[in-house]
Amino acid sequence: MLRQLRLALQTGIVAEPAPRTSELERVGERLRTDILRRFGRSLHIRQVDAGSCNGCELEITGLTGPHWDLERFGLHFVASPRHADCLLVTGPVTRNMAEALRRTWDATPDPKFVIAVGDCGRDGGIFRDAYAVVGGVERVVPVDAVIPGCPPSPAALLAGLLDAIGRLG
Amino acid sequence: MARLGYALAAVLGLAAVGGGAAGMLGREWTLAVPWLVPLGGLELALDPLGGFFLALVGAAAVPASIYAIGAAGGAARGVGAYLVFVAAMCAVPLAANVMTFALAWELMSLASYFLVLHERERPESVQAAWAYAVMTHVGLACLLGGMLLLSAWTGSVRFADWRAGAPLLAAGARDLAFALLALGFAGKAGVIPLHIWLPLAHPAAPSHVSALMSGVMIKLGVYGLMRAGVDWLGGGPAWWGTALLLAGVVSAVVGVLYALVEHDLKRLLAFHSIENVGIILMGLGAGMLYRQAGLGGLALLGLVAALYHTANHAAFKGLLFLAAGAVVHATGTRDVERLGGLIKRMPWTAACFLVGAAAISALPPLNGFVSEWLTFVALLQNTQIAAPPLNLVFALGIAGLALTSGLAMACFVKAFGITFLALPRSDAAAGAREAGPAMRAGMALLVAACVALGLGPTVVLPRLAAVAAPLAGAGAPARPALGDWLTVQLSGDFASLSPLAIAAALTLGLAAPLVALRLAGASRRRRLYETWGCGRMLQTARMEYTATAFANPFKRVFDFFYRPAKRLDIEFHPESRLFVERIEYANPTRSIFEDWLYRPVLAGLHAAARSVRPIQSGSANLYLAYILVALIVLLVFA
Repeated sequence: MLRQLRLALQTGIVAEPAPRTSELERVGERLRTDILRRFGRSLHIRQVDAGSCNGCELEITGLTGPHWDLERFGLHFVASPRHADCLLVTGPVTRNMAEALRRTWDATPDPKFVIAVGDCGRDGGIFRDAYAVVGGVERVVPVDAVIPGCPPSPAALLAGLLDAIGRLG
Repeated sequence: MARLGYALAAVLGLAAVGGGAAGMLGREWTLAVPWLVPLGGLELALDPLGGFFLALVGAAAVPASIYAIGAAGGAARGVGAYLVFVAAMCAVPLAANVMTFALAWELMSLASYFLVLHERERPESVQAAWAYAVMTHVGLACLLGGMLLLSAWTGSVRFADWRAGAPLLAAGARDLAFALLALGFAGKAGVIPLHIWLPLAHPAAPSHVSALMSGVMIKLGVYGLMRAGVDWLGGGPAWWGTALLLAGVVSAVVGVLYALVEHDLKRLLAFHSIENVGIILMGLGAGMLYRQAGLGGLALLGLVAALYHTANHAAFKGLLFLAAGAVVHATGTRDVERLGGLIKRMPWTAACFLVGAAAISALPPLNGFVSEWLTFVALLQNTQIAAPPLNLVFALGIAGLALTSGLAMACFVKAFGITFLALPRSDAAAGAREAGPAMRAGMALLVAACVALGLGPTVVLPRLAAVAAPLAGAGAPARPALGDWLTVQLSGDFASLSPLAIAAALTLGLAAPLVALRLAGASRRRRLYETWGCGRMLQTARMEYTATAFANPFKRVFDFFYRPAKRLDIEFHPESRLFVERIEYANPTRSIFEDWLYRPVLAGLHAAARSVRPIQSGSANLYLAYILVALIVLLVFA
């Protein structure tokens, strides 16, 4: 037991290397100015899990943590589509979630846009053509932008959001 | 034929409004028919206070009768009793001697007894009518006792002679007479703990009758208290006012607490009647205390607050009962847990109920706000009496009134929300249809009354002050300064209120954002979509908030009062306890008054009856022996 304790103390906390901050700040700053220009003040995002493995969700949750802290760039995750400007949809849309996704889209006030996240969201990914799966998000609701990756890293998510907003403007 | 009867009642109501208004403006009128009945004959007299209540009875009878034309649908049952009921209620405030009063009072009670017994096929109705008959006759016994004692002591059965004679009586005699009269009248007014007949009788009667019983009949109890307290006996010691004030606080708080956990729409309204009588009594009690302390101006204010709330309660509670009646008429149920979604099916009724609910919750600019504000202003000035125990009583009144107002609002959020909003909870509610034109007209009249009494205190208050001025004792100004046409100004600079300004500010506040958006060029495009339900496929009424759930926090906070009993019934599958077939959960409250007051009294009565039963054996021989013994005893003592 003492050996284990010693080992734990010697090893310390193992973590991934931190991302390059300068790159993050640059993307974030551009996001902020774009959001200020297009949306007045801030962009409210409703995240919809339409059958994801939760890999994408883990990365998205990372965005809200103290390291990435996306709220400083004017992005907010909200608890209801009624409050949202943008739907962030993950997962190959399963048959069980297709109607819920459609209703969420209906319940989001106009103007709105949809970003499909991850390879699954793009076209079903490795679940494509499976019997329980409808397919990519655009099979159910119109998609304005796609952020590919399995899963996309937080940096990729931010870059994708920037890209999507840029393309709208 | 039935419609003709109700139309006649409406005409009678109109005449009563006219006569009452004349009385309030100071016209005197008397009618004496000495030969008609023994003990002083029939004698009616119109004075300002009687005129006010006569006008009140008439003003409530008109919309109720118009509503009844639609609601009764030509059914003849109850028309005769209804006519007698309205006529007797008109006669009560006019009665000028004991015999006339007793006759009118008893006619009113009996007619309403038959109206409570309207659905005599149902055992609950019979039981309600029975409880009502017992309570009202216990009250009558007290009243007659008090009146006969007063008649004997003053040597006259005419009320006018009491005014001269009663103040000269010994203090103990006056106390006894007041106690008896107050008990009798308080029973009719539904003051706690004499209230138990109200939540039974009001739901059992047809709704236009409930509206009258709650709107004006119990107010005649208030009329009696006012007469006995400040008119016939000419005021009394401080404990009279203290007792009324405290009874008012208890009635208001306890009434609204019971209403909160009540899910029968009409029973809920009945409990609110108890609450509102409590608020009226607070004003009356305060008025009597100020009068006893020689503060005429404040006594006048207390009495005016009581009178104003009396009129207001008649308007909004009548309205609420009529709207609840329309709901019952359309759905066949009074249980709010089986209603819901009616705002789409009965928009008129829903709007009327909403106005009534806002008025009873004392929201400006409606009428409930004005009179509760008056009551507050009357209570808050108690520092002018230099007696700490009395100040404490007043403080209790202020706190009780504040608590009552808050709880009443919570209760009506529940009553309106569960009844009218969301999805219907039963097929009956889903198939409800809007009330007919006559019923809607009846409700609309009362909505107009609620708005008018809310916006027009500057017009109404001087009239009420003229009614109350002769009763407010020494030092009461005959024409008190009440501000100008726009603002009510009370007790100098103590308090002022301008309902018109409030109404204008509210309207502007609501309209300004809309106008601003329009001016800013906001898009007018609208997209209608169903209520967001988290993407659920199926949204049923079973997922809705229930009245029980709404009331539960209150049940927990006040559980020392409700003493809720918990009953959990689980039926398992016969093969295994792991499978549950049925779960039944009930969390009923228990009434303190029934458990600790009425049940012991009834048990005592039963025990007494059982103990004297051996005398009544049914044997003829024994009865002959009784006669013989009685004869011998009489001969010995004669």
